[in-house]
Amino acid sequence: MAGPAFKRPVTDSVAKINHELAVGEDLVFQRKWWRFERAIWVLFILIIALDCMGAFGRGPLANARIESTDHAVEADYERIERTGTPSMMTVKVRETAPDPIELFVSDSAVSGLGLRRVIPAPETTTVGSGGFTYRFPRGSLPAVVRFEFEPVGAGVYHITVGRPGEALMHMTVAVVP
Amino acid sequence: MDAAIRAVLGYFFLILVVRVVGRRPGKQLTPFEFVLIFFIGGLALTAIVGDERSFTNAICQVVAVALAHYAITWTRSRYARFARLVDGTPLILLERHEWRTQTLERMHIADADVMFAARDHGISSLSEIDQAILERNGDISILPVTETTDAHGMQA
Repeated sequence: MAGPAFKRPVTDSVAKINHELAVGEDLVFQRKWWRFERAIWVLFILIIALDCMGAFGRGPLANARIESTDHAVEADYERIERTGTPSMMTVKVRETAPDPIELFVSDSAVSGLGLRRVIPAPETTTVGSGGFTYRFPRGSLPAVVRFEFEPVGAGVYHITVGRPGEALMHMTVAVVP
Repeated sequence: MDAAIRAVLGYFFLILVVRVVGRRPGKQLTPFEFVLIFFIGGLALTAIVGDERSFTNAICQVVAVALAHYAITWTRSRYARFARLVDGTPLILLERHEWRTQTLERMHIADADVMFAARDHGISSLSEIDQAILERNGDISILPVTETTDAHGMQA
């Protein structure tokens, strides 16, 4: 046997225009919504402008350069990176470098920024002192070493790069989701 | 967990974008709207799925979006204010031989769009329309002039 059909009386719950036609128009709300829409479009334009400038990475604002106090090492890196997006840090070692060239990179470069590759491949890698020390045979200077990153998660990471025992460079990198 | 949250956030963001982009008149999607929907969907998919290509992840994300959709539908049916926020309200475009100019301008609707809907109802000119209403789903409802409405119009 079928159960009871649930019912309720029909009432004029939808607002009428001219007491005739039930439309349910709400111009007061709609005008507020149009104002909200305009604000959202302004926000969208702002987001695109900031994106083009590199405020969310991959643009002029994101690119940064740092030099050690003894001017022996210089690094070009991205101060704003994106999760899961490859980026490159270029470290240039100048005339004053001893033979062989050694570069220290803090552990946060691996745990935070997801260090994938070091180009060229180092001769040896030593672990300790909160990071890795890479040793490269010295050729003609300046020598350029590239570090490829691919961050795995959003956050702010502090990394240290430089010649061990010498002036180190401290960088802060923000990774956006 | 992270993937499910990403899927729900993506779903809510797309709802906001589609709502802000606005209602367009017409019963069928134009090629322009097809491009918009597929392109936005494709772009969002990349970030929502990320590098998690497992079947488990797909199932979890689909279930998360289904739950979010159900929550929105349930809330919409229960609270009129929320329904108004998600769907908007019907808007009168033409009333008693007068255009609602602000509504037409803000909703980016031309006279020709109203006439297109009118032809669908067998109406051959704009003067034969008593009311044209932009519905919440983007359709334009047309109410033709009748003897009664015309008499009201004359009195007004």
